[in-house]
Amino acid sequence: MSVVNYGTREITCKIVYYGPGRSGKTTNLQHIYSQLPEERKGKMISLATETDRTLFFDFLPLDLGTISGFATRFQLYTVPGQVYYAATRKLVLQGVDGVVFVADSQSRQLAENIESLQDLHANLADEGLDPRTLPLVMQYNKRDLPAGEISSIEDLDETLNFRDVPYFSGTAITGGGVFETLRSVASLVLSRLSAPAVKES
Amino acid sequence: MANESKKEEESGEFADFMADISQEIAQRVESLDTKPKAPPEERKKTPAVPDAGLIVEWPNIADRMIEEMR
Repeated sequence: MSVVNYGTREITCKIVYYGPGRSGKTTNLQHIYSQLPEERKGKMISLATETDRTLFFDFLPLDLGTISGFATRFQLYTVPGQVYYAATRKLVLQGVDGVVFVADSQSRQLAENIESLQDLHANLADEGLDPRTLPLVMQYNKRDLPAGEISSIEDLDETLNFRDVPYFSGTAITGGGVFETLRSVASLVLSRLSAPAVKES
Repeated sequence: MANESKKEEESGEFADFMADISQEIAQRVESLDTKPKAPPEERKKTPAVPDAGLIVEWPNIADRMIEEMR
């Protein structure tokens, strides 16, 4: 995806929230949506099943207005976490600029986190994207659960964050860590934008 | 001029996010703007030719031809 378009004076960033089922990806987007001022609220599109699980994906367009002469939009997507929606996840990843991996902090979900992370890497590779260089941040969600049910941040980080990317503690249900995570991935995407263009000169 | 539109009445988490991101985007755009500026085109100093295609040194050439024919 071309992120800076000098012709149309547009900056568009596609950020995908990835992670296992029920880790809190949709909750992240819902919190962001809830914080938007009325005049900026577009439509958050969620395609959910009867049991409220994300069937296809969530899509939240964030119109940030004109910044330095560029109409700036962030497009936030989630993927369905359930393993059997592999094709949808691949589709949503097309043209991605940055990824937030939302991990479920519950100890019993560790295997699902690892499986989802491997799935992310495989799908990125299939899309011709290098998982080692794509902007990525981790969010260890559900930190509000009882201590006995969740892994420590250190353990999660050691197991999942082998790229040593920025990570955040999250309680998306109450909004904790949601904007910090978004800010971080947006910053990574933007910093990556400028680098090649400057080198070209 | 970080954000030129709809800045009014925003508060809370989104406003903080916007403030940070606007600043960052402004910096990025500025850094992108520093690339490929084509150097100012040098004006070629063309010799003042009274009329293109006209052989101005004709008399000299004619003299030389005559000289060579001798």
